[in-house]
Amino acid sequence: MLRHSFEQKLQALQGQALELGQMVDQALGASVETLTGRDVAKAQGLVADTCFINSKRLAVEIETLSLIATQQPVAGDLRTLIAVLEIAAELERMGSYAASIAQATVNLGQASLPEPFLQLIPDMVEKAQDMLRQSLLAFAQRDIVMARAIPPQDDEVDYLYDQVYQVLLGVMRADPYPHIANQAAHLSRVAHYVERTADRVINICEWVVFAVTGEMAELNVSEADRSYQSTAAS
Amino acid sequence: MPRENFERELRRLQDDMLLLGSMVESALADSIDVLKRRDMDGSRRLIAYDQRINEKRFAIENDTLTLIATQQPMAGDMRTLAAILEIASELERIGDYAKGIAKINLMIGPGEFIKPLVDIPRMAEKAGDMLRRSLEAFIHRNVELARAIPLEDDEVDDLYNQVYRELLTYIMNDPQNMDQATYLLWAAHNLERTADRVSNICERVIFTVTGEIVDFSMAMQEA
Repeated sequence: MLRHSFEQKLQALQGQALELGQMVDQALGASVETLTGRDVAKAQGLVADTCFINSKRLAVEIETLSLIATQQPVAGDLRTLIAVLEIAAELERMGSYAASIAQATVNLGQASLPEPFLQLIPDMVEKAQDMLRQSLLAFAQRDIVMARAIPPQDDEVDYLYDQVYQVLLGVMRADPYPHIANQAAHLSRVAHYVERTADRVINICEWVVFAVTGEMAELNVSEADRSYQSTAAS
Repeated sequence: MPRENFERELRRLQDDMLLLGSMVESALADSIDVLKRRDMDGSRRLIAYDQRINEKRFAIENDTLTLIATQQPMAGDMRTLAAILEIASELERIGDYAKGIAKINLMIGPGEFIKPLVDIPRMAEKAGDMLRRSLEAFIHRNVELARAIPLEDDEVDDLYNQVYRELLTYIMNDPQNMDQATYLLWAAHNLERTADRVSNICERVIFTVTGEIVDFSMAMQEA
């Protein structure tokens, strides 16, 4: 294969990874909308649609590995291909979170939800989506300055997450019944999925830095100083 | 490289993956053990051990990509190699959860717990058992086993919800318990996520053998 043909394939693969990113971005926004809008029917549709994200990811993966097999790329090209593999995997997992949020909408049915939660969760997911878009742009433009600027924004998501946790505790204190505790368990998971999404964006940023520089950066640097929420999972 | 050499390399990679699996499985069991015994030094050792898990994962990834690049495997073999990449990465993340639990132990610090740990060790045992069997399913190309394991995730979720409700009552009874209860909840959460990742491994086994794309993550919300 000629060099320019390899370049084209590499470009096409990156384009596919970005498309996957857009699918996941939309799924995340839509999943939280079904929750705040109590749209069970739409949520069921979203759950079913995860298969498109999963199959897209597997398609990207197999094409990437095939390109590695046939072209035996080295150095920067190989790193970019590895980054595509890893980023596609991260995106697929975020897609699973979106599906899990939609499933929570289904499970919660029509029960009314705490108002402060309904106000916090859209902000939280919007921030995570915003970080996701920036990370995809950083990857597309191979911009490591941008990639390094994204992880600190995770503090905002963590802050909102903490707020949600306090809200849910308050709700349960005020109304200590099993069905309320059960609802709170669902809602705390929803918030956790959004928080994990932002963490995975940080992983994407790390892969962007790896693709460009070859350096395996640990961009979750403020982790040690953060509250237990983020540290616990790391 | 003749076919038998390729097969041998593939088997070696699978053996490495199993080794990584047992490293992770014992790290997970140990993390709960040191938590239970309030063993701070043990936690520090486990946190350091995670580096070896990470290195093992990167070695497997490197060997797998090298095999792909040098052997240009055919479709079926490529799916197996892709699965090894994916499973090694899931295992490493499970190792991170074990490290996370060890960190939680340090953050709680020495001293008696507000309640004896019962359900958290049960969760760990169940998740560890699921993990071991998911790797068996991969090695033996056992699709039935791979389909059965994610269904057991309900047990882990039930235990998680039990832990969640119980810890909340401790917080509500005495806000002083808040920090410790929250830490323990996060330990339980790491175990729940471990079981989720086992389901990912099972999905990958099914895809590798049958080409079918399944997503078990929905079953996890049925709480």
